Amino acid sequence: MFTKRRTVLAAALMLGTALAGPGAFAQQTEVDVLLFSMPSTLGLQKLAPDFEAETGIKTNIEVVGQDVFESRITLSFTGGTGDIDVVHTPAIQVQRWVEAGWLAPLTQTLSGMPDRDDIIPATLDSFKVGDDHWGIPFFAETGLLAYRKDLLEAAGKQPPTTWEEMLDVAAAIHSPDTAGVVMRAAPGQGFNMFVFPMIMRAYGGEFFADYPDDLTPTFNSPETLSALDVYIKLLGEYGPNGVSSFNFPEVVAAMQAGQAAMTVDGTSIVSQAVDPQKSRFADQIELALPPAGPAERAPALAVHGLGVSASAKDPEAAAKFVAWATSKETMTKLALNEAYPDFTRASIAEDPAVKEKYAGIQADFLDLRIAALQEARSDYRPLLPTWPELGAAMGENVNAALNGMMEPQEALDAANEEMGYILGQ
Amino acid sequence: MTSVRASAAMDRSYKLMLLPASLAVGIFAVAPLVGMFVLSFTDFHLIRGWSGKIGLQNFLRLAGDARFLSSIYVMAALSFFGVVAQVVIGTAIAVGLDRIVKSWRFARGIFVIPFAVPHIAVALIWLSLFTPTLSPITAFFATFGIEVPAMLTSQTGAIAAIVIADTWATTPFVMLIVLAALQGISPDLDEAAAMDGATRIRSFFLITLPLLYPTLLMVALFRFIETLKHFPLIFVMTSGGPGRATQATNYYAYVQTFQSSNVAYGAAIAVFLFIFAGIISFYIARSNARLSDA
Repeated sequence: MFTKRRTVLAAALMLGTALAGPGAFAQQTEVDVLLFSMPSTLGLQKLAPDFEAETGIKTNIEVVGQDVFESRITLSFTGGTGDIDVVHTPAIQVQRWVEAGWLAPLTQTLSGMPDRDDIIPATLDSFKVGDDHWGIPFFAETGLLAYRKDLLEAAGKQPPTTWEEMLDVAAAIHSPDTAGVVMRAAPGQGFNMFVFPMIMRAYGGEFFADYPDDLTPTFNSPETLSALDVYIKLLGEYGPNGVSSFNFPEVVAAMQAGQAAMTVDGTSIVSQAVDPQKSRFADQIELALPPAGPAERAPALAVHGLGVSASAKDPEAAAKFVAWATSKETMTKLALNEAYPDFTRASIAEDPAVKEKYAGIQADFLDLRIAALQEARSDYRPLLPTWPELGAAMGENVNAALNGMMEPQEALDAANEEMGYILGQ
Repeated sequence: MTSVRASAAMDRSYKLMLLPASLAVGIFAVAPLVGMFVLSFTDFHLIRGWSGKIGLQNFLRLAGDARFLSSIYVMAALSFFGVVAQVVIGTAIAVGLDRIVKSWRFARGIFVIPFAVPHIAVALIWLSLFTPTLSPITAFFATFGIEVPAMLTSQTGAIAAIVIADTWATTPFVMLIVLAALQGISPDLDEAAAMDGATRIRSFFLITLPLLYPTLLMVALFRFIETLKHFPLIFVMTSGGPGRATQATNYYAYVQTFQSSNVAYGAAIAVFLFIFAGIISFYIARSNARLSDA
């Protein structure tokens, strides 16, 4: 009965196809794209007609707020509604989404891209889970040092290249009016745990015994303890009053108002400190690579990319869109059209028009940014599916130590034990 | 006979009229509540899904979870100090505004303004007031050489900061309700007491306050239930810190559900809060009923 009906249906369909001919039957391919709001994604939305003209594929790009985004994708992916083909994929989510089976691999698309070597390795590897790539980067934030040139000169100090030197410089320039250093301290995987690993890695601290093969937590190592001591000393002795609850808005404000002389934070934060329209000391603040340590220099890394949903209607068309959106041409256009120094291809920093546009921030801003990204590690924050929980456990204990509620070693031991519990669950 | 039939018809039409509202409440309030109860007995995890296990494991885990127990302490502190401050200050302002001369009535409107400010905005206002580098208060005292200590870097300070922000925003609610109740108390009572030689303070404590008691109890209950739901102030002002010192129970349920993807465990915490609020409300409502009967 069933088979009979199916045969009839198939026959009817075949007949229909034959009669209609190839052109008329092919309904226009559509790609539904969900992005969250940033200058680059809004810019991408404006450029979408170019993609349609090139490929004949129609795009419906929806740009939403980050809060709406979270609930939209959770509903869409867990419910398998198939209304999203291409999805904004923060690298921090990628392992979780892969484990949940929400994404389709893009390894093939990537190998078909003509100039893939141009993509900065750490940003690309942030999307690698197992042997496959699950996203292609289009946005990267890294860490830079911002310092008050005038105050350093007055104290006869060179800009610090190591954390040890930073302590020394901070001591020399710290005053009641201008604190030596300000950094984010509020507990959270995206708050203090966005900056603390820069110090931790510089001193040779690692989250795990051998990521990703051996996930035995090693957050209470002597190396991480030295790093935590430096962090506590920097903020405790040379930070502004109340710094141990600061998040990035307070860090930016303190730099802009001249209440602090140095910070190490994300590119989007430090570039606000040198923005003449926002910062009273814009012309006195210089940017440089983040300090290094005995082990290495470990610039922060936060990457966003585009992924293809496992339930995409037409995976090929979706992948085509991803390749177009992350291509050199599109990224260059975006860098010129929008406030978008966050591109993930090294060659764009060489483009004369792009160079000129961002020279206002600082003549060598783009070069510094690329240099920091080239040194960054894709596992800056080990983006395990449980990272949000692990990051919170570490961030909360580190903050407790910073506020004197726990001894540094005690805090690291507590965090390490919690990490073991989370991973063993 | 006819009257009985008529009243039965009336009864039916009343029930019919209740139907749309009951449906709406059923769909939007009862169904999610049932869902939460069901979830709390599973081991549903946002990523790992549900293993098929059903039982009391989440509730057993709650009993031994140190973070949960300390979250209750934070919640209790936020609720107790918040409710006391709001009821005392709200009543004081209401009493002041009750007897105010007509040309000053606009003052009532001014006192209500904070109540209209969205929670997130309240949190941002107070976050900047409690951030020494941004705060005009700190700047003011600094001109006299006095350093105002940072509030958000210790547990006591951070809890006090949240209580202050909450009190600023919600005292007007208490004030409005108490003011309405005051207007219902006949001024004759005070006048009679005055003629018998009672001072105004005496007549406030011996006449007005006892008459206000049911209102105060009700408004305290409202505020108490609201303070169990603290979230935006904690989220914006402290991120649960310093350390974990301001992770109240409701916030901890959020942490478990959304940060750790432990949806079932988060639901169990929410069930606990629901039952806890229910029990307290029941006792307060019962003592209120007794008072009204007396």
